[in-house]
Amino acid sequence: MNTYTYPKNDALLQRAAQVIPCGVYGHQGPAEGCFIPISAFPKFAAKAKGSYFYDVDGNKFLDYMCAYGPNILGYCDEDVNAAAMEQMAIGDCITAPSYKMVELAELMHETVQCADWTFFAKNGGDTTTLAVLTARAATGKRKIIFVKGYYHGVAQWTQRADAPWVLPSEVEHNLMVDFNDIEGLKKIIEENKDDIACFISTPYMHGNFVDNVLPAPGYWQEVRRLCTENGIILIIDDVRCGWRLDLAGSDHYYGFEADLLCLCKGIANGFNVSALCGKDFLKPTVSSITYTGSYWMSAVPFAAAIACINKMKALGGGQAHLALGRKVCDVLAKAARENGVGLSISGEPSLFYLRITDDNSLMLHQEWIAEMVKRGVYVTNHHNHFTNLSLTDADIDFTGQVADEAFKALKARHPELYQ
Amino acid sequence: MKDPVVMAHVNMWAVLKSLEPLCALDETAKALASPKKPMSIGFHVQGGPMATLHFDEGSCRMTRGNTGKVKLLLPSPQAFNAMVDGDRNPLPYSGLTKVNFLLREFTQLTDLLEVYLRPSQEDLEDRAFFERSTTILFHTVAFALAAIANNDPLGRIAAAAIPDGTIAMEILGGPAVEITARDSRLVTRSRKAERPRSYMIFDSFDTARGLFDGTLESMSALAAGKIRMGGYIPMIDNLNRILGRVAVYLA
Repeated sequence: MNTYTYPKNDALLQRAAQVIPCGVYGHQGPAEGCFIPISAFPKFAAKAKGSYFYDVDGNKFLDYMCAYGPNILGYCDEDVNAAAMEQMAIGDCITAPSYKMVELAELMHETVQCADWTFFAKNGGDTTTLAVLTARAATGKRKIIFVKGYYHGVAQWTQRADAPWVLPSEVEHNLMVDFNDIEGLKKIIEENKDDIACFISTPYMHGNFVDNVLPAPGYWQEVRRLCTENGIILIIDDVRCGWRLDLAGSDHYYGFEADLLCLCKGIANGFNVSALCGKDFLKPTVSSITYTGSYWMSAVPFAAAIACINKMKALGGGQAHLALGRKVCDVLAKAARENGVGLSISGEPSLFYLRITDDNSLMLHQEWIAEMVKRGVYVTNHHNHFTNLSLTDADIDFTGQVADEAFKALKARHPELYQ
Repeated sequence: MKDPVVMAHVNMWAVLKSLEPLCALDETAKALASPKKPMSIGFHVQGGPMATLHFDEGSCRMTRGNTGKVKLLLPSPQAFNAMVDGDRNPLPYSGLTKVNFLLREFTQLTDLLEVYLRPSQEDLEDRAFFERSTTILFHTVAFALAAIANNDPLGRIAAAAIPDGTIAMEILGGPAVEITARDSRLVTRSRKAERPRSYMIFDSFDTARGLFDGTLESMSALAAGKIRMGGYIPMIDNLNRILGRVAVYLA
């Protein structure tokens, strides 16, 4: 199997660095994206279709990052794109919002368990911020309970005081508890009684750099009870998991109901729309908050979202994703086992997280991931992965073959560890 | 915002500590650090750090505690900071007979250190000087990281997020340090780490200099491949937060 090189990618990154901060900033860039080593990874895409993308050097990648989530059906899905193109010809960003917004909100109400209403925006962070604003406005309380290792976007309230761009006062009401720690949660509630606006969490702990942790039996039901009894708004950040477990919301999947549910990545197969869904009792409050954006009511993403939701329903929704994820995890586990490499696969199968367990520095893991990418399977070092519904059995078999070869390359480089 | 107590720790454990690499790299400094008999100067900063500089046979070494043959008492961190800035010359309360070394050789050494830590553009055009200066600055920054991680309120937030283990930091073909995190405290040592849990390697003296001078930004340097990092990345991410505080204190 040949390994890839990236001369055009690297030249383009140098050009980009002249006119764009970092060349590529954020999670899709080499720095925050943990391209280790940077020479193993493509930096710019040329095109994408189904489960694959091609970089500017013409290298083809089976993509398990799915644009970090939005590619839920397959890149350039014909049905979603047709709906979007049809809407584009009619009108997109107009003075009055398109009627498509109402149609989508009604479809969300039918689809998502807690969606008595839906507020549309663009990014996941728009919805987590609105959720916290809503909780504070509705309760008149200040404090936010986070789960340690959280990620809810990049707004100041989500950061730490040691970030140079954050004022300590912006995060002084942030409280932390471990995931699955009911006793810790009870203690925090008791210590901050009558001043907690909300508890915000992802449906399960899918933090980076650590094995992902599923909710313990009864955990969410007890959290729900504690929030209700103490007047705390329960916010589920379903931006990453959303619809890869359950179209009704990941709260529904785990058998409870959130007060506010943040959705984004899975909604429209890459068209830019996010959604905060909520219960009726919070509708007057969210209605009163000044919160808007220039493109939040554009019609094309609404049309794309309607097509995406209907196609997801037809294809089996979250269960179809979970089934595909199980197959991928199985071939990876088999390749690791046959090569005598310790591989931890954690989280839900449709969002599997990988870690080689044979050292605690993650350096072996980074070497293996680089070997995978250079052979055409795009995985990333320390972030969970994503399935999409265009994945085929042949794609999954290819994943197993590449994993096997990448493990062999790793073992050849480390005879001191692998006999 | 600079806290005077934290500044005193930085001045002690990073700035004065940099006399060690200065004496190792600069011939004039070596000569100044060669008293006829071993000499030592102790600094007791009330409400701040306490350390002793030892000079012998061309080398300098810092130890904890005030065991100097010449002992200086600084009544406050502010007074110590003023001394390091050259605004105040305290008199020793012990070792008066050896005060000549303090007033002559030690003063010349600290003046020379300033030449390397705050070099002129003209000096930096001499490549050998540039590399010596960057090496000394590298050590100053590396030791300031620990001083800030252990004392600065914002630095402590970042240090608390660094899991136990060793971070290797080096300039390719140049100096190396290991920074060990344990129980939310950092210790810097001037040696190449043998089994680091994470690493941050600058590809050249120029990259390191650019970062320290603020003309190069770390995320851009990472993207350009000028800095290589690997291993347990949260260690590096949080170290970079502290590096931002170093820039505040050493500015």
